[in-house]
Amino acid sequence: MPIHEQSLIRPENLKTHDKLVLDGVDVSGHWSTFIEPRVVTDYNEALQEEIAALPGGEHIHRCWQCGSCTNSCTVNAVNPDFNPRFWIYLIRMGMESELLRDKDIIWQCVSCNKCTYACPRDVFPEGVMKATAHWLELQGHTPKSKSTLFDEEFTEQVMATGKIEEGRIIRGFFAKTGQALMQDWLVEMAKRLARRLPIKLGFLMGWATIFRPRTRGWSRAGEAIEEYVHEQQAKQRKALSLE
Amino acid sequence: MNSKPILVVGGGPAGLAAAHALASVGQRSIVVEKENRLGGAPILSGYAKLVPSGEWARDAIGGMVSRVEGNPLVEVRKGCRIEEFSGGPGDFTARLSDGSTVEAGAAILCTGFTHFDSVNKPEWGFGTFPDVVTTTQVEQMISTGKGIRCPSDGRKPQRVAILLCVGSRDRQIGREWCSKICCTVSCNIAMEIREELPDCHVYIYYMDIRTYGLNETYYWRSQEEFKVKYIKARIAEVTSDGQKLIVKGEDTLVKRPITIPFDMVVHAIGMDPNVDNKTLAPIFGVGLQEHGHIAKGSAYGALGETSRAGVFVAGAATGPETIDDSIAQGKAAAMAAFALVNQKTAVAA
Repeated sequence: MPIHEQSLIRPENLKTHDKLVLDGVDVSGHWSTFIEPRVVTDYNEALQEEIAALPGGEHIHRCWQCGSCTNSCTVNAVNPDFNPRFWIYLIRMGMESELLRDKDIIWQCVSCNKCTYACPRDVFPEGVMKATAHWLELQGHTPKSKSTLFDEEFTEQVMATGKIEEGRIIRGFFAKTGQALMQDWLVEMAKRLARRLPIKLGFLMGWATIFRPRTRGWSRAGEAIEEYVHEQQAKQRKALSLE
Repeated sequence: MNSKPILVVGGGPAGLAAAHALASVGQRSIVVEKENRLGGAPILSGYAKLVPSGEWARDAIGGMVSRVEGNPLVEVRKGCRIEEFSGGPGDFTARLSDGSTVEAGAAILCTGFTHFDSVNKPEWGFGTFPDVVTTTQVEQMISTGKGIRCPSDGRKPQRVAILLCVGSRDRQIGREWCSKICCTVSCNIAMEIREELPDCHVYIYYMDIRTYGLNETYYWRSQEEFKVKYIKARIAEVTSDGQKLIVKGEDTLVKRPITIPFDMVVHAIGMDPNVDNKTLAPIFGVGLQEHGHIAKGSAYGALGETSRAGVFVAGAATGPETIDDSIAQGKAAAMAAFALVNQKTAVAA
């Protein structure tokens, strides 16, 4: 008999044993290959709550699986495996292991927000994708993405001084992502900049690099913002039972 | 007006509306009800809050009952059936089961429906496992104030499955119609469960969601405000592992079989033709349509016509119907019957 839904048989579910005897019957070798069942044996209601606790995921429970998000998706047009509709369903039913199979492509969302404007129920699928990528990082399923690391460096500087200094951000970002500071394009850019930069501006840049100026009266504002951010992070970690 | 009274058969929403409408234009009527109580299914089956008004059935339908029971133009005969019916338009005679005879100018059949009996779908566990219940039973849990509890041991369920289309849209058991109200009622019940037991998760297994017209609000609110989950699957069987009910089926959206434990399973039961239709039809000389409901004459010409002149029909007797539409049909049939028995001023249909 031909196997009609062959695509549903996953390689990792094919089990062959070199030496196995069950109830006295020898089931060793290729001729006794087993296929592990795909039966869903329980729902995990916590998964939807966890995603909903992260920014962007708040409205995931509204989804009625029409597929408007996937149909309008920029990334899906290039990679058919990128399917927001399907991931939203897996999250809502708590099929975590199924979701994790796609952990390395979920972050690919380009935030074009076409889905946001196509969704008839205001699920904000783009936000859900962001929340899901964030969830994968918090749970340790994926390493922090470069954009997350950039955001962190940026935020740290703002917290400390109330302003950013581009040279410092690039240095910090390169350090966090393990990239060499002396990159050809950067050296070239610095050389050309030095050739044409007015002396006063060059002096200010050097001064800012050494003395790290702060926004006047920043400390109290910075503390308040930092407290709020920590509160939010603690709330998210608690929702994900990471405390 | 000296015309003979109009016979109203059945004291549910349609019959109560017809009798009240007739009385409001000074027409006498006789309401014959086989049970010992007026009100029909909403009262006899102990419905809780009605869709779409949100009013308690005992208040909304109870009000209809009292305005009919206290009306001098309405004669109510409870605990009584009609055994013979003869004559023609304007001059019918009916013999009742208590031996009495009444004369009537016309008759309106408001004989309603019968709830589908879930034991006819044994694979879904009703009658085998006590925690498999029907929407009617859940309505009663709410309307009696006892709350949502597993019948087996009285515990509060933590996970409830509602199975739609039980006794509807199923050729295997000869029920090819949609019962029209069960989707909306199930959305409503799901919200009531979530309201009473916020920690209880409710899943609705559906083939299609038919919360038609403005009832769509129930579907939306149940998802958006009450986080009820909808899964596209027709369940194959309900079994038990000795502690929990096990619901088996295929989750069609992920193409995977499911074997999910539940504390309570609710059958959203459909509306069968009244089991009495096979005896009622020959007594009144009216035809039945293919599924066993009382056949309507004209769809657009005269409302409430049957295949016999002078005998009208309204409400769920003609097919699955909502309470508010049954009331409207009861009034429409009353209008048609009133015109018939007062032909001096009316143009014959």
